[in-house]
Amino acid sequence: MEFEYLVDGVVRKISVVAENGLHILRDGEAELRAEILPLSEEELFLSTDGRSHRVFVLRDEDRTVVFHGGREYVLVHPRRADGAAYRGEEGGTEGGVVKAPMPGKVIKVLVAEGEAVRKNQTLLIVEAMKMENEIKAGRECSVRKVHVAVGDLVDASRTLIELE
Amino acid sequence: MFHKVLIANRGEIAVRVIRACREMGIRSVAVYSEADRASLHVQMADEAAPIGPAPAAESYLRMDAIIQAAHRTGAEAVHPGYGFLAENAQFARRAAEAGLVFIGPTASALELVGDKVRARQTMEKAGIPIIPGMKSSAGTAEEFKAAARAIGYPVIVKASAGGGGKGMRVVGREADLVPALEAGRREAQSAFGDETVYLEKYIEEPRHVEFQVLADTHGRTVHLFERECSIQRRHQKIIEETPSPALDASLRAEMGETARRAMEAAGYTNAGTVEFLLDRNRRFYFLEVNARLQVEHPVTELTTGVDLVRQQILVAAGERLAFSQDDVRQRGHALECRIYAEDPERDFLPSPGKIRLLREPKGPGVRLDSGIYAGWDVPVFYDPILAKLVVWAEDRERACRRMAAALEETVILGIKTPLAFLRDIVTHEAFLAGRTNTAFLKAHFDDWAARPSDPDGLRLALAAAAFAETEARSKPRRGGDGRTRETAPTPWASLGPWRLGGA
Repeated sequence: MEFEYLVDGVVRKISVVAENGLHILRDGEAELRAEILPLSEEELFLSTDGRSHRVFVLRDEDRTVVFHGGREYVLVHPRRADGAAYRGEEGGTEGGVVKAPMPGKVIKVLVAEGEAVRKNQTLLIVEAMKMENEIKAGRECSVRKVHVAVGDLVDASRTLIELE
Repeated sequence: MFHKVLIANRGEIAVRVIRACREMGIRSVAVYSEADRASLHVQMADEAAPIGPAPAAESYLRMDAIIQAAHRTGAEAVHPGYGFLAENAQFARRAAEAGLVFIGPTASALELVGDKVRARQTMEKAGIPIIPGMKSSAGTAEEFKAAARAIGYPVIVKASAGGGGKGMRVVGREADLVPALEAGRREAQSAFGDETVYLEKYIEEPRHVEFQVLADTHGRTVHLFERECSIQRRHQKIIEETPSPALDASLRAEMGETARRAMEAAGYTNAGTVEFLLDRNRRFYFLEVNARLQVEHPVTELTTGVDLVRQQILVAAGERLAFSQDDVRQRGHALECRIYAEDPERDFLPSPGKIRLLREPKGPGVRLDSGIYAGWDVPVFYDPILAKLVVWAEDRERACRRMAAALEETVILGIKTPLAFLRDIVTHEAFLAGRTNTAFLKAHFDDWAARPSDPDGLRLALAAAAFAETEARSKPRRGGDGRTRETAPTPWASLGPWRLGGA
C-alpha cells in the first residue's frame, strides 16, 4: 500500500507490504523490514535489525504523531480527497487572519478596526497560564475586523483579528 | 502531631505534601477550583473541598474559602505549598486567628523578608553582604560620579519606580555615566512617570546560588547546603542542581553560615531559602529570602537525605530539629528539570490542553514529582508546571547522563513540553563543564529548535504511522455516536480520527 506524509514541509511517499509476518517499508532506495505488533490503542512494538522499540502513535484527522527514542515525529496527512484541508500551525498571523496561538483570556485589545498597523506591532494580549502573550502583526497592514473583546475566553485557533 | 492537614495548593506540590502527610499518618484535605475537579491532588487526598471558580483570585487565593474549608473538614493545620498564599503574611495571620497552624514562617517573619527594603537593611545590619549601591538617589552628576567610584565600575543605572528592565543602563566607565543617567531618566519618566534613578553594582554573568535553611521554634537553625539555579528562561528557573559546580568547601561553608545567620537575623522559623548572587570573582551578595518550600527542594532532599516537607510539618507542630549542623552531609549530586506545559520552539508559549499519553521514567536514582496523568486536561488558569524530573547519582557527570536518559524515557503527548530542549541542555558541553550562569540560555540556546529528524528514526516513524493507518482502514469505522459496528474490536479500530480527533 502507498502512503504519503508531509514531514518538515517535505512530501514523503512510501510503500508498505506485508510478507511472511514482516512489514517491508520502501522509502525511495531505502528499505526497512520490521516486525510490528500492536500493544495498545496508541502503542506498537516494532522490531527491526535486531533492535526493538516501543513506538507511540497518535492519529488525528490531519496528522499522525509518532514518538520513539525520545523524539516526536509529526507526519502531516496531505489534503484528503473529501476536501478536509491540512490545518497548519495553530495560531499566527498567516493569510490575513490572526488566530489565538493557545487557549486563554483576552486581556487587552490594542488596535481598532480600520487602524493601520506596523509589522510586529502588538495587536492584543492574551493571558494563559499566568503569562501575558503579545500577539503581533506579521506584516504592515490595516485592521479589517476585531472579533474579540477584553475578557473573552478564546480557544486555540479562534480567529481574533482579520487584517488586510 | 496533627491529625489532619489542609493543603492550600494544587498540582505537583499538593501531591508532594499529601504524600508526606500519608507517610506521617496524617489525613490530608485537598482544595480545588472548578477547573481542578478531576486533578491528581484531588484524587490522592483523603478528602477534598471545593473553594470556588477556576480563576485563582476566586479560589486558591481566597483566604476565607480556604479557612472555611479547613474548619468544615476539621483540619488543624494548613500547608500553603509554593505560590498562591505561601508567602502571604495576612493569610498566615488570619489562619492563626482562626485557630489553624500555618505550616511555614510566622506572619511577622513573612512581613520582614517580603519587604525588600527592610530585608536589605536587616541583612546589612547583621553583617550579611548585600549588592553595593546608593541608599537614595542623588541630584548632581558629580554626586553620581562619586557614588559610582565608591561602588566600583561596572555599575547599573536603575529606575527607582522601576521593573522590567525599563530605565536600566549598564555603565563600564566614568565617561559613559552622564549619558546613561540621562537616557535612564528619560526612559524612567516615560515608563513610570518618575525620572528618579539610582546606582547599584552591576554583577556580570552572576550565578544564582541559594541555601536551604531549616529553623525550629526552639532556637536551632541549620542550613542544608546550596542549590544552583542559574539556568533560567524569562527569569524563571528550569534546571537546578546541588552541589553547585562553582563552590569549593570553604566558600560553601562561608555562604552556608551566612545564610544561617541571615535567617537568624530575620527571626525566621520553618523551611526557607536564602538567595545569593555569586560573581565571577567568587564574591557573593544577599538577594532575598524565599519564605516557602521551594519548587527545587527535591535536589536537597536527595543529597542530604532530609525530607523537607516532613521537617516543615514537625517544626510547625512545635518539635525540635532532631539533627545539628554537623549532622548534615552532602552526598552525591542531584539535578532537577522542570517540565512545563510550554513550547520551547515558540518562545515558551504556554501549551495547555489534554494529555493524551504519558509514560514516566524509571530506574535507579530517578524521581518524578508530578501533578498530571494521561487523559487530564491541563487548565489554562494556572502556572504551567506539570512535573519535576529529579535524578541523583554519585557525581555530576553521572547525574547529567542519568538525567539525559530519564528525559529520553519520558513521554508526554498531546501538549508541548520542553523535554527535548532540556535534554539538549544537560548534554551541552558548557553545561557538562559546569559553566552555568544566568546568561547561559541566552548564550547557547537563544534560537533553539528541535534537531532535524534523523533518517533512520524518521523511517521507523513512517513505518509505524503506515501500519497504524492500515490497521485503522481495514476496520469498520465507528459511528459518530461512539457505537462500534463490529463485535470484537481490535485496539486499532478505535485509532481513527473519528474518535481521537473529535475528543
